[in-house]
Amino acid sequence: MAGTVSSTKTPPWSLCTEPAVFHDKRTGRHLCRDHFISDVESRVAETIRGRRLIVPGDHVVIALSGGKDSTALLMILARLLPALEGVTLSAFTIDEGIHGYREDTIRSADELVKKYRLTHTMISFPDLFGGTLDVFLEGREPEACSICGILRRKALNVGAERAGATKLATGHNLDDEAQSVFMNVLRGDLPRLLRDSGSDSQGRFIPRIKPLMFISEKEIAVYLMLHGAWADLPECPYAVHALRGEVRRMLAVLESKHPGTMLHLMESRAQIEAHCDGSLVAEPMRHCAECGDPCSGEICQLCNLKKTL
Amino acid sequence: MKIILPDKTIRYQKVPNPVPVEALIRDLGFDPIEVLVARNGTLVTEDALLEESDEIRIIRIAHGG
Ligand SMILES: [Zn+2]
Ligand SMILES: [Zn+2]
Repeated sequence: MAGTVSSTKTPPWSLCTEPAVFHDKRTGRHLCRDHFISDVESRVAETIRGRRLIVPGDHVVIALSGGKDSTALLMILARLLPALEGVTLSAFTIDEGIHGYREDTIRSADELVKKYRLTHTMISFPDLFGGTLDVFLEGREPEACSICGILRRKALNVGAERAGATKLATGHNLDDEAQSVFMNVLRGDLPRLLRDSGSDSQGRFIPRIKPLMFISEKEIAVYLMLHGAWADLPECPYAVHALRGEVRRMLAVLESKHPGTMLHLMESRAQIEAHCDGSLVAEPMRHCAECGDPCSGEICQLCNLKKTL
Repeated sequence: MKIILPDKTIRYQKVPNPVPVEALIRDLGFDPIEVLVARNGTLVTEDALLEESDEIRIIRIAHGG
């Protein structure tokens, strides 16, 4: 497909003469379809290898929401699976009960696991907590993401355990991670900044891994488009209430003007981490007086929350 | 130029010929980081040049995982 008109001429920093589908502003590289796909997959493979996210014999369970990030995660892990010795893959989905949002994403999760022939388990908020998120949030929408976050964390742990996971993989991407770093800085929450960064080193829960942590949201979208796996899924109706939304817009503008901003935030975290050497996160290991789950205070966040629902 | 917006509405717009993708999407009020652009069904980069006769689709990268 050598270009004959100006608009398809080979741009600078191309790896080949095929038309570019992605321009990495940070490195200046232009990538064609095939080069882009193999670039994303090999960077994920490198993250897994370099950080030892997955080891031989692991049962990796993907927290599959059916949205774009976890869909791409499943596709990429399925591609890399043959190179991961003795590793099994399965998926589980949480149904929080968000009307007008979850129905579509759950259907799309269902279709995906069927296509890849993976075991799929489901867990719902009514099963676990006796009601849907919609019911819990009536009149307290501004707290939506923190309430949902506490409930989801429990659901993720229960789901991973039921599925027999040795690793729980989530679809968090570079944008999510950079936003989290920034939000924890804005909140002055250094322990949380470090806790967020990797697998739970204290062995309290099944370790979480984020294989897409260096892949941007835009790259994920392009990856899905190129595989014909892009679906126009609705946005979570509660997301508008979150601080994350503001941080997301701010970082998007910064990244656009100053490519590499998000990676720099990740590097900042890595440097703080290296200097702190775990001393800030080593809170005394305690157990909730009510449910017995590991927690940092007297009573865990979930038990506190349950009293108010 | 025929432009299909993220909400699927179609707009016909006069544009400079050729026009860089980035200039077009900023002109329409989007930030390049939040959208993808397809020309005649194929993804293009922000620095590609579009022709008056191209059919352009703008896809919003929705938030939420
Ligand atoms: Zn190429
Ligand atoms: Zn508790």
